[in-house]
Amino acid sequence: MIDLPELRVPPAVVGATTGGVATGTASAGAATGTADGEVRIGGLGEPGTVLLSGPGPGSGSESLAGHRARWGDLPGATGADVDDLLEASALDGRGGGGFPLARKVAAARDAGTAPVLVVNASESEPASGKDRALCVHRPHLVLDGAALAARALGAGAAAVHLHRGDAGPASALARAVEERRAAGVADPRWVLSHGPGRYVSGESSAVAAYLHDGDARPRFTAVPLAVRGPSGRPTVVTNAETVAHLAVVCRIGPAAWAGLGAAASPGTRLATVTGAVPEPGRVLELGGPPTVGEVLVATGVPAPPAAVLVGGYAGTWIDGAEAWQTPFERSALACLAASPGCGLVGVLPHGACGLTETSRLVRWLAGESAGQCGTCVAGLPRLADGLEALAGGRFHRRGLRRVEALGASLLGSGACGHPDAVVRLVRSTLDVFADDVVRHLAGAPCRGADHPPVLAVPAPFLPTAGPRPPEDFT
Amino acid sequence: MSTVVRIDPTLCRGHAICALFFPGGVELDAWGFGRVVEPRPVARRTVRRALRAAAACPNGAVVVYDDRDGVGASGATPIGTL
Ligand code: SF4
Ligand code: SF4
Repeated sequence: MIDLPELRVPPAVVGATTGGVATGTASAGAATGTADGEVRIGGLGEPGTVLLSGPGPGSGSESLAGHRARWGDLPGATGADVDDLLEASALDGRGGGGFPLARKVAAARDAGTAPVLVVNASESEPASGKDRALCVHRPHLVLDGAALAARALGAGAAAVHLHRGDAGPASALARAVEERRAAGVADPRWVLSHGPGRYVSGESSAVAAYLHDGDARPRFTAVPLAVRGPSGRPTVVTNAETVAHLAVVCRIGPAAWAGLGAAASPGTRLATVTGAVPEPGRVLELGGPPTVGEVLVATGVPAPPAAVLVGGYAGTWIDGAEAWQTPFERSALACLAASPGCGLVGVLPHGACGLTETSRLVRWLAGESAGQCGTCVAGLPRLADGLEALAGGRFHRRGLRRVEALGASLLGSGACGHPDAVVRLVRSTLDVFADDVVRHLAGAPCRGADHPPVLAVPAPFLPTAGPRPPEDFT
Repeated sequence: MSTVVRIDPTLCRGHAICALFFPGGVELDAWGFGRVVEPRPVARRTVRRALRAAAACPNGAVVVYDDRDGVGASGATPIGTL
């Protein structure tokens, strides 16, 4: 059995109308976690939240004193305790892959000495804001989690990897590290790393590589990073939200934490809502879990939209009415070939064209390739050409078959999963917008083609003109 | 132990030499980059061909390794002998 430290439950959770974790001690907390928890949806500082509980968005970065008042001191759990807690909670990665943290930690510990811990807070997904929100507003929760993960791993240092173009999280974390140093918190040595903010630079092997040699491009790996990273040492790269959950698990206990979610997807989850919503970029914490419809109602979308893009810009489209009924949770989304990914929910309104939106996304994603794998460099711009031709109504059946063949040849072609993710996005597009595809094939682009862009894409990093095709799609 | 044959796409420059040395085990995609079609060869003869392709690739992009520990992957000595 694990000895858990005395718990001081955050006031926002204690006695909150949603119930859940309202108990004084961690061991007793297990009893109150309802198996399939009540639905909780809340933004920063709103009732029912856990990671986001505490002061609201206006109050800036939370101080160590404020954090301790709600959460108590950094738990004294030993590495072995944290390990057991990780195992018992089945905490899954929240950066996109959803890989259980316990397995990464175990692999690294078995693999040898001097493991490296990297907390990835670079949030390279352009529309996602959850890691930023955590680092800016709850830096001590992230650092507590990182310190506990370092203990489980037996690492003397922990790196927090940030996006160098974004000063907010960097200054909040730097300040938090100073506060902890002054207060003498039993922390690992902190390394704050500031990497490039490009899309594929946030991929775990690129992050590990950046810390090793400063080149933030994905690497070809024969064995998992947790077994052997670019430096030759076992390297665990985990997301900022994941370790923040670990900080909560170590305080309220794995059962109470798991009870905040469903049996198949324990705990709460952060999500960012974007697209045709009143407040794009709003970060919400979801427990229960709610359906996509409930999440959208909470963000001011009263009725099912045309479609929803889940998991990220290289995510999966789901038909609006279908998504409305679907819990925003791994196993339910998996039935629709989707995944919560980084927690992005992008809303496509009625009257906008999913094919046009996707062609813009694919063009941007093609330019975000790290430019190292031939098929990715040559093939993704061709895929974007194909989507643009389709969206513009300059397309025949043969072109559609070529897009499908192109997709098949891109699958598994890269050192990282980027081409595969883009192909999955395209496949879900052709599936969800099948009626539109038929109309576009008939040479009649829909009314939505003139709709202003819904999902904003950043300026391209590279010019996206790949090697020109020997024959055109049209 | 199981032998794995892969092409490191970050190193492959499409010289197509692997396809000459490992016919049936490697094919070239639409752009001429190598794709391994038999990533887990069992027959000794096939493994030998894969090792020849690994030795012949001008970029060292063909890697043959043991899936338990990854030894033999780029940079390290390939497993087995030709
Ligand atoms: S697959 Fe594409 S994005 Fe990934 S490393 Fe290769 S070139 Fe870069
Ligand atoms: S010989 Fe090497 S560089 Fe050429 S196609 Fe094969 S793997 Fe690629």
